[in-house]
Amino acid sequence: MKNTIVCRCEEVTLEQLEQTAKQFNCSPRELKLRTRAGMGFCGGRTCRPAVDKVLLNVTDLRPSDNVPLKVQPPVRPISLSSLGGAIDDK
Amino acid sequence: MLDVIIIGAGPAGLSAAIECRKNDLNTLVVDEFPKLGGRLLGQLHQEPTGEWWNGIEEAKKLVDEAQRLNTDIRTGISVHHVAKVDDHFVVHTNDGKFEATNVLIATGAAETAVPVPGWTLPGVMSIGAAQVMTNVHRVKVGERGVIVGVNVLSAAIAHELKLGGVDIHSMVLPSKNVISADQAEPYAVMERLSRIAHLAPSAFIRFGSKFAKSPIVQKLAVKLYPKNGITMFDIPIHLRKAIVSINGTEQVESVTIAKVTPEGDIIPNSEEVVNVDFVCIAGGLYPLAELAAVMGCEFKYVEELGGHVPVHSEAMETAVDGLFVAGNITGIESAKVARSQGTVAGLSIAKRMTNDVSLDRQLDRAMQNVKTTRDNATIQFHPHIYRGRERVKAAYNRITETKE
Repeated sequence: MKNTIVCRCEEVTLEQLEQTAKQFNCSPRELKLRTRAGMGFCGGRTCRPAVDKVLLNVTDLRPSDNVPLKVQPPVRPISLSSLGGAIDDK
Repeated sequence: MLDVIIIGAGPAGLSAAIECRKNDLNTLVVDEFPKLGGRLLGQLHQEPTGEWWNGIEEAKKLVDEAQRLNTDIRTGISVHHVAKVDDHFVVHTNDGKFEATNVLIATGAAETAVPVPGWTLPGVMSIGAAQVMTNVHRVKVGERGVIVGVNVLSAAIAHELKLGGVDIHSMVLPSKNVISADQAEPYAVMERLSRIAHLAPSAFIRFGSKFAKSPIVQKLAVKLYPKNGITMFDIPIHLRKAIVSINGTEQVESVTIAKVTPEGDIIPNSEEVVNVDFVCIAGGLYPLAELAAVMGCEFKYVEELGGHVPVHSEAMETAVDGLFVAGNITGIESAKVARSQGTVAGLSIAKRMTNDVSLDRQLDRAMQNVKTTRDNATIQFHPHIYRGRERVKAAYNRITETKE
């Protein structure tokens, strides 16, 4: 199970996530920043629920009503020119 | 300024658009997929009545009706941000910004990934991706594969793959870890399967009825589960086997499968290697609510609905004035429920814009229709869906009461 990759973009393994969460008693945000899980190209669209589960398990928390990791725009991969408003400026 | 932007052209978004256009609202529908219909496009299954549900035809009916009403529908447009500015919304897309008085988020659901060693190899895909390739793009996903994850959705899609001429070696469980959790425990999987059996398509009824509803019978069934699995649509379903790894250098070449205890623990030295050229991972669905989160919507964690859902009323309004939701973003249910929710949302938006009191009766009827549709649903993704819906309604009432 050591080589189970959870975050595909940043190649973060399940073992790394569990160890980091235990060692630093992480918040969801801290776990993300320490491991880079969910910070790759896809913006966490694939691994977000999995990372949440690792945290819930390690910290023994019940899922809360708040979305565990803050969602920030852009929620889709977009080109820099689009983000910069190139289309609207046409 | 548009009256409404509808994000998502699936069953919810399209049926909402139809109601908005009937009430002459200036409406724009956007979807990131090149084809209209959302996940309806992938669906093809037989109902207990024997009738076939053909999602492509159902999607076409909605699209035809929307187009007859001259609805502006655009594909290939991804929304990456929605912001509220004064009394309207600015919707940011890969094709520029759009402004509207109302926004309906009908983005549906996303698939939950179940990480397995080797799942980053080409040839591994989610079960939903296999469905889209088979039924929408008519591309064969491979010659012979294994499906990881046994649930109502994966069983239905396994059958669709089979109909498409793809050989499914077997359906097995994911191996147990903190992420796969109860999807990897044979007891838990069996319990879920027998709870939904009475609602599911015909072959599933035969599958589930073998184990009745008694927990004792279910436990026994897991303990004595046949070595060769139980066959459904000629596909062996294994509740006592789990995938240990997906193997290959450049792409999927084989999988290693091991026997597991009734609790889901691997039985040592029981591994076998099976040659396959693709693997489908079926981890279930969760509401795709990123845009509602960006908007600052309040959320509620409701397991029965598939996870975090934006808090909303029965009329599909959120607590953010002018922001509406419909379809699987509000909870994982069938496409028919999503479609009837879309009608409710469309009428709610029309009511907000026109103040036409004659819409009240239509809206009541439409809300009643959501319940009737739910009662008659063939595929119920969670047995306690009503309890989940009540919890969201209560949360909405609490928020609006505090506001007043």
